[in-house]
Amino acid sequence: MSAVPGSHVSGSPVPDGPVPGSAPATDQRPQRVRVTAPGSRAAPGTGPAGIRGDPAAGSGADAPSQVAEVYVRSLIRSQLRLALVVAFGFLVSLAAFALVLRLTPELEAERWFGVPVAWLLLAFGVYPMIGLSAWLYVWAAGRNEARYTALAEEGP
Amino acid sequence: MNQAVGYIAVSTVVLATAFIGFYGLRISRTTSDFFVASRTVRPWWNASAIGGEYLSAASFLGIAGLILLSGQDALWFPIGYTAGYLMLLLFVAAPLRRSGAYTVPDFVGARVESASARRVTSLLVIVVGCLYIVPQLHGAALTVSISTGLPAWVGAVAVAAVVCLVVVTGGMRSITFVQAFQFWLKLTAIAVPVVFLLIVVAREGMTGAELGAQLGDGLLGGTEPASAYRTVSLLVALLFGTLGLPHVLVRFYTNPDGASARRTTLIVLGLLAVFYVFPTVLGFLGRAFMPELAAGGQADAVVLLLPGVIAPGLLGELLTALLIAGGFAAFLSTTSGLVVSLAGVISQELFGGSVRGFRWAAVLASLVPLTVALLSGSSAIAGAVGLVFAFTASTICPALLLGIWWRGLTAPGAIAGMLTGAALCGGAMMLGPALAPLLAGAVPFVGELLAQPAAWTVPLAFGVTIAVSLATASGRPLGVSRVLARLHTPERHRHLPGA
Repeated sequence: MSAVPGSHVSGSPVPDGPVPGSAPATDQRPQRVRVTAPGSRAAPGTGPAGIRGDPAAGSGADAPSQVAEVYVRSLIRSQLRLALVVAFGFLVSLAAFALVLRLTPELEAERWFGVPVAWLLLAFGVYPMIGLSAWLYVWAAGRNEARYTALAEEGP
Repeated sequence: MNQAVGYIAVSTVVLATAFIGFYGLRISRTTSDFFVASRTVRPWWNASAIGGEYLSAASFLGIAGLILLSGQDALWFPIGYTAGYLMLLLFVAAPLRRSGAYTVPDFVGARVESASARRVTSLLVIVVGCLYIVPQLHGAALTVSISTGLPAWVGAVAVAAVVCLVVVTGGMRSITFVQAFQFWLKLTAIAVPVVFLLIVVAREGMTGAELGAQLGDGLLGGTEPASAYRTVSLLVALLFGTLGLPHVLVRFYTNPDGASARRTTLIVLGLLAVFYVFPTVLGFLGRAFMPELAAGGQADAVVLLLPGVIAPGLLGELLTALLIAGGFAAFLSTTSGLVVSLAGVISQELFGGSVRGFRWAAVLASLVPLTVALLSGSSAIAGAVGLVFAFTASTICPALLLGIWWRGLTAPGAIAGMLTGAALCGGAMMLGPALAPLLAGAVPFVGELLAQPAAWTVPLAFGVTIAVSLATASGRPLGVSRVLARLHTPERHRHLPGA
């Protein structure tokens, strides 16, 4: 586990006073970026170098930024697609589940230990679906990241 | 009910919580310790802590109470509470951890590079936190008045005071220990009574057909099914509301990296699924054995009263004590989680982010909701919490989701979306009861729409965010590529020398 040294996250507060240029969208100076991770240099993107922190690390000025940017964009796209597919799949199966329960009066009439089967299914039947979706996602998201890492390492 | 049992149960949990909180004091020293426990918490600890924090009065008392009140439709609540974590896992967990921001306003402000967006988010986080603490304090008030006979306000004051003390002295690190402890306490405190009650029910000769008849009568007693709209809207609120809950989000910063944030969430889902079995069973038993509670307006007390009815005598009292302890653990843990995240936000906005400021902010974050709770009457706990989820889903969720996944988000877009969601959802919540009769003729289903607004306020908030962002596309933050790359690329890779 890569423990994060506390020093990377500046404990210093945000400037309290009004920040010029924050209201209109046109004069957006990158005055403060708190979204910082240790030694972050994965994104030698189009952002101005040294927005915050380590300019010494050469945050991308000399890196083949175009290619890296393409890799990052493709990673983000594949992660988003994965998340949407899993979410959609789960919601559709949930809707189907609810529909079946509503449209099957036998499940309401049939009792186990005195409780209608429809109630038992609704009370305990959805969790396996949630667990399966979550497990699938964690597995596939890890695979996406591994693929990205492999690409970025062997890359230019 | 034996009042000594109530006193012993309540004071034991309060003392144990305070003790573990003070123990954590020795470890927490720096600002980073205070805010996010230095990000060294392991997945199992962290998952237990998230579970401990998340399972509030609404889960411990509210679900069984709602099953008693409205039967089958209440079963959607635990499903939504759990599935919300699935959405959190899919869309938020790893990127948020990688963002490295301390609080939600930090994240939004940094993402769109705007101090105004940050302030609006802070304000909404504070509103959400306060709205969420109030039902916890109502739950505490109900529990204390039922178990000890003391006036109801004592429970609310006790919970607010203990939480304030623990947070002020120990900060988040101790809270992580406390929360993890609270989860296992809550699970034990509800699982053991359920097992014993089921054994008693089975041994009393109420087996087979007889038990079936008794349960059945209760189960079918006078409920009308909620409309499909209400169920869908509730699910929208619970699924997307979890994404924006400040006390849940702050927990993800304590994971070592993005991948472990995902593993943590997976464990949380398992823990929640196991937990929710028990309040559901208690709700079923409550409908069978105490259906009269529903009419008396004390449905939320069914969890606490059931052992005395099913197993009168010593066993019933012991089980009641356990349930009271678990309930108190629920109020304490959720409230402390909320106070920590609120204090983090308030201190950075008002007191310059120092440890001293954090302490003052924690005092404020406990006192304000306590005042509101004491001044307002309690309603069904699970229902009140459901509305908080709707508000969160309509305000914080769009900015957060689009900020993580969409390059086009701009500061005006985020602000406009949050304000639209707040105005629509807040308006529906506050003015709904007054407006519904006026509009009843003009708009069909208006009562339903106002009572459970998430299904239309969340899409509208998303729509406004996107539309305004597109209209102000020239104002896209310059550092967006950098920020998005940081959110989505694995940390491991970043440490490699020659990438």
